Amino acid sequence: MLKIDHVSKVYRVGNQDFTALHDVNLEVPAGAFMSFVGPSGSGKTTLLNLLGGLDKPTEGHVFFRDYCLDDLSREKLAEIRRQHIGFIFQSYNLLPVYSVYENILFPLLLNNEKESAVRDRVKEIIAQVGLEPETHKKPSELSGGQCQRVAIARALVKKPDLVLADEPTANLDKENSLMILDLMQELNREYKAAFIFSTHDEKVNRFVNREVRLEDGYVISDQAVESAPA
Amino acid sequence: MIRWALLGLIRDRTRSLFPFMVVTVGVALTVALFGFMDGIGSGILDLTSKLDTGHLRFVNKPYYEEEHLIPIDRALAGQKKTHAWLKKNGDPRITWSPRIRWMALMDVPDENGETKSQTPVTGIALDLLNPQSPELERLDLANSIIAGRRPNAPKELLIGYLLAENLEVNLNDTVTLLGQSFDGGMAMDNYKVVGFVKFGIVAMDQKMALMDITGAQHTFYMDDMVTDWLGYLPTSVSYKEYPELQQTIAEHLPEWMQAPPSSWASDDEPIVLTILDQRNLRPMVEKFELIRKVNVMIFAFLMTLVLWNAGLINGVHRYGEMGLRLALGETHWELVRRLAVEAFVVGVAGSIAGCLVGGGFVYYLQEVGVDMGDAMAKSGMMLSDVVRGRLSIDGLLWGGLPGITASVLGNFIASLSVFKRSEASLFRELEVG
Repeated sequence: MLKIDHVSKVYRVGNQDFTALHDVNLEVPAGAFMSFVGPSGSGKTTLLNLLGGLDKPTEGHVFFRDYCLDDLSREKLAEIRRQHIGFIFQSYNLLPVYSVYENILFPLLLNNEKESAVRDRVKEIIAQVGLEPETHKKPSELSGGQCQRVAIARALVKKPDLVLADEPTANLDKENSLMILDLMQELNREYKAAFIFSTHDEKVNRFVNREVRLEDGYVISDQAVESAPA
Repeated sequence: MIRWALLGLIRDRTRSLFPFMVVTVGVALTVALFGFMDGIGSGILDLTSKLDTGHLRFVNKPYYEEEHLIPIDRALAGQKKTHAWLKKNGDPRITWSPRIRWMALMDVPDENGETKSQTPVTGIALDLLNPQSPELERLDLANSIIAGRRPNAPKELLIGYLLAENLEVNLNDTVTLLGQSFDGGMAMDNYKVVGFVKFGIVAMDQKMALMDITGAQHTFYMDDMVTDWLGYLPTSVSYKEYPELQQTIAEHLPEWMQAPPSSWASDDEPIVLTILDQRNLRPMVEKFELIRKVNVMIFAFLMTLVLWNAGLINGVHRYGEMGLRLALGETHWELVRRLAVEAFVVGVAGSIAGCLVGGGFVYYLQEVGVDMGDAMAKSGMMLSDVVRGRLSIDGLLWGGLPGITASVLGNFIASLSVFKRSEASLFRELEVG
C-alpha cells in the first residue's frame, strides 16, 4: 500500500543544507500498526510529512496506493489526504467552536458528503470511542483523553487506508495513554487502516507490531515486535 | 458547508462580532454622510429652484443676458400662447409657473403723506391669488408668513420681515412702488402690505417683496407678459435628467420661431435652461458630487483596512484551524473561498444593520431636520436654516456595497497568507497547539 523508495530529504537552513532523511527504504502493508521511534531531529516528522503528502522528497519516490506522491499537484495531494489519510496530533487539534459530533463530521463534509447520509456513521464511531454522552459537548468541556478519542474518531470516520499519528500519547497520562492505544489497536483491526505512529513513548512500542528506529535521518533498525494483547 | 460556516460565525464571536460591528459602523457612517451631503446639496438646489431658477426655465435670451439689471422691457409677451406651447412641447410631468422679476423703489409715507423711509427692493410676482396655485406650497407661504396673511387682491404685497423692520412698515400700511414700466416709462403704484415673510435668507428678508402676477402686470404695463416661465418636476425626477428634458423642448423651438406669436419683438429669442445652467450651479454640483464620492471612497478604503486588520487578527486566532483544514485535505483556494463566504455573510449582515442605522438617521434628518438657527440664513447662501438629509437608494447602495466588498476584500487579503503556509510544517505548527 505504501512504499518509500530511496528517499532522501534535504532542507536548506540558512546557507547550509541539512539532510533530514538519508536514502530511506520502507514498505508498509495495508493494516499495519507500526511506529517510527527516535530522538528529536531523527527524521520521524519528516517521514510522516512525506507519507501524508505534506512534503516531497529531494530524491527518491513515495508511492501510496497507485500514486507516486512526488509527481502529484497540491490539489491532488489534498484530495488524497481528504479521502485516504487520517491524522492524529499530539495536541488533538479539534475545532473549538464545534461539538464532538461536528468535529467528527467535518472531514466527511470536506469530502462533499451529505450530513444526512453520514449521520449514522458518525454516531456509530462516537459510540465506538465511548463518547456518546459527550456527543454535543465542545472540546473545552472534555478531558485530554476524551479529546484524543474525538481526534481518533475524526481520523477514522472517513475509513482511510492510512492513519498518521504524531506523538498521540504525549499529552496524556499513563492510564489515558493505554486506553487510547488500546482503542487504536482495536480500531486498526476493525477498520483495516494502517496506523503509523511517530513517538518516543515506550508505551506505544508495547502495542505496535513493527518498530522502525531512526537516528540522524537514517533507518537504523526495522523490526517486528510482539505487541501487547488488545 | 454554508451552514457550517454560519454555525462557526454564530458560536465564535471573535470572527463575527468585531467585523460585524466594523461594517455596521462604517456603513452607517457612510450612509449618514451620503444622506446628509445629499440633503444639503438637494436643499440648495431645491430652495434655489423654488425661489429663483425653477428646475427648468424658459426665458427670453436678451432678458437672460442682462438679468442682473432686471430688464423687464425684454420680458416675453404672449403669456397664454407660450404656456400652451410649453405644455404641448414639454414633458407632461413639468408644471409651468409664470413669474415676473421686478425692481422698484419702495417709499413708505408717514401720517402726513411725506416720505418716512424708502429703499430699493427686488420682487417676484407670481400666482398668489389662486388658492390652488402650486406656488403657495412651493414657497411654503403658510409657514413663511410670520405676520399678516396671503394677498387676496392684485394690489396687496408681502414683504420680508427685516425689510419691514428697517422701513418701519406695519401691517396694512400702504407703500408706493416706483419703477420702470415695460415700455421704458415710469411706473408708480400703491400697494397694501398685508404680510411679513421670513424666507430664511437674510439678503431676501431685507430686500424682497412678493405680489400677485396680475398686480405686477398692471403696475409695470406688462399685460400678457412675464419675465420667466419656471418649470418644476416631481422630486422623483433627478436633476441628472433635466438636460434631456431641456433638450426635448429646445428641439421644438426653431420650428416655433418660424411663426412666433405676433406680440413678440423681432429679436425675441426664447431659450430653455436647467437649474444647473444658472447661478454657476453646475460646477458647484459637480464638485459636491466629487467630494461626496471621494468621502465615500475614503470611508470604504478605511473600512477595508480595518477589516483586513480584523481578518489578520482572526487569521492568527484561527491559525490552528487553518492548518488543520489544510492537513485534512482542504485546498488553499477552497479555504480562501470559505473564508470569503464567511466575510460575505458578515458583510451582508453588517451592511443591512449599517443601512438601518445610517438610513434611520438620514430619515430623521429628512423628516425632522436639524435647525441651525440663524447661522445658515446669515451666511447669505441660498440655504434653509433647517438642514435636512435625503434618504435615497443611491445612498444605501453607496454605503452598503462598500460594506460588503470591503469585508470580502479585507478578509481575502488577510487570507492570502494561507498560501504562504507550507504543508510540510503543519505537523510542527499544529503541535504547538
